Amino acid sequence: MRRPQKSCPFCESRVRWIDYKDDRTLGRFITDQGKILPSRLSGTCARHQRQLSTAIKRARFLALIPYIRGHQA
Amino acid sequence: MPRTYEAVYIFDSTLEDAAINEKITRFHGLLGTREQPEVAHWGRRQLAYSIGPRENGYYVVSKFATEPTTLPEYERALKLDDGVIRYLITLHEHEVGAPPQSEEDLAAATRRDDDDDDED
Repeated sequence: MRRPQKSCPFCESRVRWIDYKDDRTLGRFITDQGKILPSRLSGTCARHQRQLSTAIKRARFLALIPYIRGHQA
Repeated sequence: MPRTYEAVYIFDSTLEDAAINEKITRFHGLLGTREQPEVAHWGRRQLAYSIGPRENGYYVVSKFATEPTTLPEYERALKLDDGVIRYLITLHEHEVGAPPQSEEDLAAATRRDDDDDDED
């Protein structure tokens, strides 16, 4: 059974490069725990998924988005 | 050949604005660029997680073109500065990389993708 084709949200909005500083957009592609959402759920194409994962990792390092959501140190 | 970089600094939010500006000027002085770097102050904002005892940081984003050989000294200064909580230097050349796709290219690429799907 093939799953239905989802369209990439970044291709649809003609995004050439995903900005790691845009925490609001990146926040849509992480789970409640703070994990990177797989492309099978978000529909992101391979190119944008690669950019997205780098961007999320950079944003995490800069404390723009959390590594783990709801975690109290 | 100079390359374009983007740097994000997170300063200690307890520092005065004048002190932060002075630090930025000092860091950029090490780069030896002819053009003045573009600096954007995001100001004080809450960190997504605490870094040591700190809950807030002062964010500054700068964009500059410099020779890669000047970077080690600049990075060393950033590393040694106690006022800088964190910094990230990234290459900022994607805009000059691949040319933007035209309508036809995009349509052709979509068609190709569809064809691939039919095969499996």
